[in-house]
Amino acid sequence: MISAEKFDVIVIGGGPAGLAAALAAQKAGASTALIERESRLGGILKQCVHDGFGLQRFGEQLAGPEYALRFSKLIPDSGVRVFMETFVHSAEKLNGEGNSETQKGARFILNCVNKEGVLRLAGSCLVLATGCRERTDRQVFIQGERPAGIMTAGLAQRLVNIEGLLPGRRAVILGSGDIGLIMARRLTLEGMEVEGVYEIKPEPSGLSRNLRQCLEDFDIPLHLATTVTSVWGKKRVEAVCVAPVGPDGRPVLEKERRIECDTLVLSVGLIPENEVGLSLGLSLDRATKGPMVDQCGETEIEGLFSCGNALHVNDLVDYVSESGETAGRAAAERALSHSADKRRLVRLNAGRGFLYAVPQYIDLNRHDKAALYFRSASTLKDGAKVSLSSDGREVLKRSYTALRPPEMERLELDPAALEPAGEGGISFSLEKKEAAHV
Amino acid sequence: MRNGVAARLRGMAERTGTEKAASVRVDVAVSEKEGSIMLEGEVPTWADKIELGYYAAHFGYRGVVNDVVASDSKWAASETPFHVGGSKPDRPLEGRNFDAAIIGGGVVGCAIARELSKWNISIVLIEKEEDVATQASGRNDGMIHDGFAAKPGTKKAKYNVLGNRLWEPLAKDLGVPFSRPGSLIVYSSAALAALGPALAARSRMNGVDGWEFWSSKKLKAEEPNITDSQHGAFFLPSAGVISPYRATVALAESAAINGALVMLGTCVLGFDMEEGRIAKVKTDRGDFRAGVVINAAGNWADIVAGYAGDRFFSLHQRRGVDIILDKSAGPTQKHILGMPALAQTKTHSKGGGLVKTNEGNILVGPTAEEAPGREEYATYPRDMAGLAKHFKINTKLSQGMAITYFAGVRPCTYEEDFIIEASCKVPNLIHAAGIQSPGLASAPAIAVDIAKLALESLRKTRAVEPKQNFIAKREVTPELRSLPLEERAAYIARDPAYGRIVCRCEEISEGEIRDALRSPVPAASLDAVKRRVRPGMGRCHGGFCTPRVMEIISGELGIPLETVTKKGGGSRIALGETKSRGGRL
Amino acid sequence: MSETKSFVCICCPRGCHLNVQLPELAVTGNSCKRGEEYAKREVSDPRRTITSTVRTTDPERRRLPVKTDGSIPLAKLREAAAALDSVTVSPPVACGDIVLKNVLGLGVNIVATDEIRGQGNG
Repeated sequence: MISAEKFDVIVIGGGPAGLAAALAAQKAGASTALIERESRLGGILKQCVHDGFGLQRFGEQLAGPEYALRFSKLIPDSGVRVFMETFVHSAEKLNGEGNSETQKGARFILNCVNKEGVLRLAGSCLVLATGCRERTDRQVFIQGERPAGIMTAGLAQRLVNIEGLLPGRRAVILGSGDIGLIMARRLTLEGMEVEGVYEIKPEPSGLSRNLRQCLEDFDIPLHLATTVTSVWGKKRVEAVCVAPVGPDGRPVLEKERRIECDTLVLSVGLIPENEVGLSLGLSLDRATKGPMVDQCGETEIEGLFSCGNALHVNDLVDYVSESGETAGRAAAERALSHSADKRRLVRLNAGRGFLYAVPQYIDLNRHDKAALYFRSASTLKDGAKVSLSSDGREVLKRSYTALRPPEMERLELDPAALEPAGEGGISFSLEKKEAAHV
Repeated sequence: MRNGVAARLRGMAERTGTEKAASVRVDVAVSEKEGSIMLEGEVPTWADKIELGYYAAHFGYRGVVNDVVASDSKWAASETPFHVGGSKPDRPLEGRNFDAAIIGGGVVGCAIARELSKWNISIVLIEKEEDVATQASGRNDGMIHDGFAAKPGTKKAKYNVLGNRLWEPLAKDLGVPFSRPGSLIVYSSAALAALGPALAARSRMNGVDGWEFWSSKKLKAEEPNITDSQHGAFFLPSAGVISPYRATVALAESAAINGALVMLGTCVLGFDMEEGRIAKVKTDRGDFRAGVVINAAGNWADIVAGYAGDRFFSLHQRRGVDIILDKSAGPTQKHILGMPALAQTKTHSKGGGLVKTNEGNILVGPTAEEAPGREEYATYPRDMAGLAKHFKINTKLSQGMAITYFAGVRPCTYEEDFIIEASCKVPNLIHAAGIQSPGLASAPAIAVDIAKLALESLRKTRAVEPKQNFIAKREVTPELRSLPLEERAAYIARDPAYGRIVCRCEEISEGEIRDALRSPVPAASLDAVKRRVRPGMGRCHGGFCTPRVMEIISGELGIPLETVTKKGGGSRIALGETKSRGGRL
Repeated sequence: MSETKSFVCICCPRGCHLNVQLPELAVTGNSCKRGEEYAKREVSDPRRTITSTVRTTDPERRRLPVKTDGSIPLAKLREAAAALDSVTVSPPVACGDIVLKNVLGLGVNIVATDEIRGQGNG
C-alpha cells in the first residue's frame, strides 16, 4: 500500500529540535508533519536522565525527559500530524513543472516506510532535525581485539537508562566531554567501578561543573594527554592499554600501560547526521559537519531547513529548541508565501580564531534579530575580543573573560545594522586578549 | 632421506644462527616421514622457522611438516583447538551415525555440504564456533578472483578459474548478490606496463576468462578518480565480488534445507581409528560414527589430520588486515583496483588493493604478515600504516572514511598451494586444506571434486543415489531497502514488522532480523545477525541499533535481555540488570 | 587561622571558579547569588541532587527516570542510589509523581521525571 499526502512543512526528527520546529511551523499556520523513527518522541533526551536542561528557557534545571515533555505534551492538541516509527528511505527534489504534487507547491518528496506500508509525503519545505551520531572506537583507530564490552557513551546510557542493563563491573572511559563525564557518574551510581577517565587533549573537554560533580565527587581520576590505544579480550573486554600523548597528538607507545577492566566507554565526539540532506545535494561545512544556513536555518537549497544537532553539535538543549523554532517558523513562512521571497544572502566569513560560526550566511531581507553561535578554536584563558564588521565598519563587538572550544557562545545580531553590505561580505573575527602586564 | 637435503637444511639453519648472537640456539633435525619432509628442533625467530619451511618445500616431498619451534614465540607443535564461546553441556551427537561428516563451517566446508546434499546420504557439518564464517571465510574482501595471480599448474590456478565460473549461477540460486566488476591491475611505471604480455601469457596458461590491455587514457576515462601516477592497466573482466559471510551462510542453509545437519558450537577432539579407518569422530557434544570424514578445518586442518595419524603437511599462518570504508566511498570507483609495486612483494600473498562491495563499501587491503597464531585476530598500528599505500590508488579515498578494520588469518602450506585430495593413508578421510586466497573463488569447484572423492569412498561399501527432490533455490527474504517501493509495500502488507526499521544506517527492518533468527542455520547472537542482515555494519556501527536488536533476539529466542551475546558464550553485552544490588552498595 | 577553599560552582553551566575564605565565609568568584549560597554551604555541608532510574512493571518501559526533589548530603549519594533498587512503579505515572517518600530518612523524595501512560502505550 503506497499512500501519498502533502504538507506545507515536513519535519524529520522528533527530538528537541524537531519538536520545537514542528510546533512553531504549525503555530505559524502551516500544515505540518513530523516524522519520527522511534516509538516515542523526545529523541536523545529520553535517555538523558540527568538534569541541567532548560535553565535558559524555563529557568529550571530539568531532567532530559522532563524537558522533552514540555514540548511533546503540546503535540496532541497542536494539529501536527505525527508519523511514529516511520523512516525516511529516500528524498527527492522536485524540479518544478508538470507534476500534480508540484502544482500544489511541493518542492520535495519523502519516500517513507512504516508498519502501514510505504508513504510518499510531499512537502513545500523540509526541516532536517535528524540530530547526530557518536564517533566510534574504530573511527579513532583503537587497535587490539574486538570483544563485547566496547560501547559509546550514548549506547551505555541507553542500555542503563532505557533497557535497565548494567554494561559491566569495571569501566575505563575515553573522552572527557560532558557525555563521558555524565556516564562516569551514572555508572558509578549504578554500582560499577569507573577506573578513570582518559582524555587525549591536555585539557578536559566538558563543563567544569561536570568535572566536579561527576568526577571529583566520586574520586574518579582524570588523566589528561592520555589515550586508549588498544583493547584486549577474546569474548569480553579484559583490559585496555593506555599511553600518554606527545605534543604531536600521537600516543607514545613505548610508555603504554595495561589496565584491567571489562568495559570500555567511548565519548570521542558527535557527528551530525545529514544523509537526507546530502542525498538532496547539500554540501556540508567542514568545520561543523552540518549544512550551511542563513539566520533562519534555511540552507543553500530553497525550502530546505536545518536545525539542532544536525546543523552543528550544541551544548545546551535550550539553543537546540531555539534553532528548531526559528527554522520551523521560517519554513512555514516560506511554504505559505506565494511569491517566493528572494533572499539576499551575504556570507559570514568567520576568521581563524573560530572553530566555527553558525549561520554561515545572513539574509539581509530579513529584519528579525538573528542568533549567532560560535566556538573558539582554542582555549583563551586571558580573554578574547569578538567583532563583526560589514564592509569595513564595525557593527558588533563583545569581550569575553575566557573562551574554550567546548563552550559555545551565542550573540544577537540586527541584520539591518549590516547595511550597506559591501562586496567583501561580513567579517567575523576572534582575537585573544594579551595577558595584562603588571 | 635424499642425499644432502638434510645437510643443506641444517646448514641453512646454522647460517642464520651465526648471523645472530652466538648465544642463540640453532638445532634442527631433518628426517623423512611417510613421504613428507619433517623438521624439528629450534631456531631463533619465527621468520627463520618459516624460511626453513619454504626451503624444505622445494625438494619435492609430499608435504612439509615443520615442527621447529622459534625461541621468540610460544608456538608449540601440538595445539588443541578451542571454541571462543566455550562448550555447551549437551551431547546430541552421541551414538549417532552419518555417511559424511564435514569438519569446518567455512565457505569450503559449507560448499561441500551443499554439494553432498544433492545425494541421498546423511550429512553432518561440524563447526566449533557459534556460527559459520567466523574465521577466514568471514574475514576477507569478498573478491572472486579471476585466476590470473595463481601460479600456473597449481591447484589454486585450476580451482580458481573453475570456481569463478560457478559462482554467478550459484549465487543466484542462493539468493546472494553477486557482481562482476572486473579487476584492474594498474601499472605504476612504464616498466611494469611493458610486462603486459607476460601477464597475458600467464592468464592464458591459467585459462582465465578474458583480459584486456588498457591505456592510461582509457583507465582515466573509466576510473576518473584513479591516481595520476598510472601507466595504464591490465584488465580482467571476470573478477567478481560477493559477500563471503553471506555466501557461506547461504551455502550452509541450502545444505540444511536439503537435509544436512549443521552443528554449531561443536568441536572435534579426535578420532577413534579401527584398522586404519576412522571409526568414530569424537566431539565435545558426543561421539558418532561416520562413513567418510572431510577435513575442511581451516587453520586447524593439520591438527585434524593428525587426529587420524595423517599429518603429512603443516600449516603456518599469515595474517592480513583490511579497512572498511563507508558507503560514501562506493561511488568513487567502478572496478576492483590494485597497484602492485615493481619489486616482488616480500610475502607470498597477492598485493591487495581496493574492492568495492555490493553493498557500496570499499575494502582496503589486505596486508600480509607471517605471524604465529591460528586465531590471532588482533590489529596493530603497523597494520594501518601498511594499508596507507592502497589509499593512493583512488584519489577520493581517505582514512577518515573508515568505519572499521579487521584481521584475518590465512592457513598456508609451505608449498603455498591447496591440498585437495583423499588421504593416502586413511581410506575414509579426505582433505580440503591449506585454503587461502583464492579460496573463496575456488570453493564451488573444490566442493565438486571433494564431493566426488567422498562419494567414491562411500560407494566402496554402499550404493549412493542422487536426491530426486534436491532444492536448488534458497528462499530468503530479500534486502527490502533495495526493492522497488511497490514490492516493499507488499512485504509490509504481509507483515508489518518489515516496515519497522531497526538499523537506520543500513535500513534493516525488524522483520528481516527476525527472519535471520528463524532461518535454517539460525543466528543467535548480535554478530550472527550482523553477518546475515547487516545491522551494526553502518556508520554508527551498532550505536543506535544494538539495544533494539538485543530486544528482538531476546524475544525470538526467549532468553533474558542480559544474556544476549555479541558472539556466543562469554561475550554478553551486559553483566546483568541494573537495580540488582539487593541493598549492597 | 584563615584558609581559602576553591572549587567550581555546579549551580549552572557557567561553572564559576569560587573561592571561600574561612572562617569568615567570604565568597568571591561567583556571578550570582545562588553561587554565593552554594559556596557557603559547600564548605560545611556539601549536598547534591541525584538523578537515576527505578524499575517498572511495564515491559515496554523497563525503567522510569527519577530525581530527588531536594538535595541530600554528598556522603549519602551512593547509598541513596542503591536505595532506589528496591523501588518498582506501575503505570500510569505522571511526571512529578513521588515514587519514594523520604529516601533514607533525609527528608527528600524521589520523583518521576517522565510519564508512563497506562496500558503500556506511554
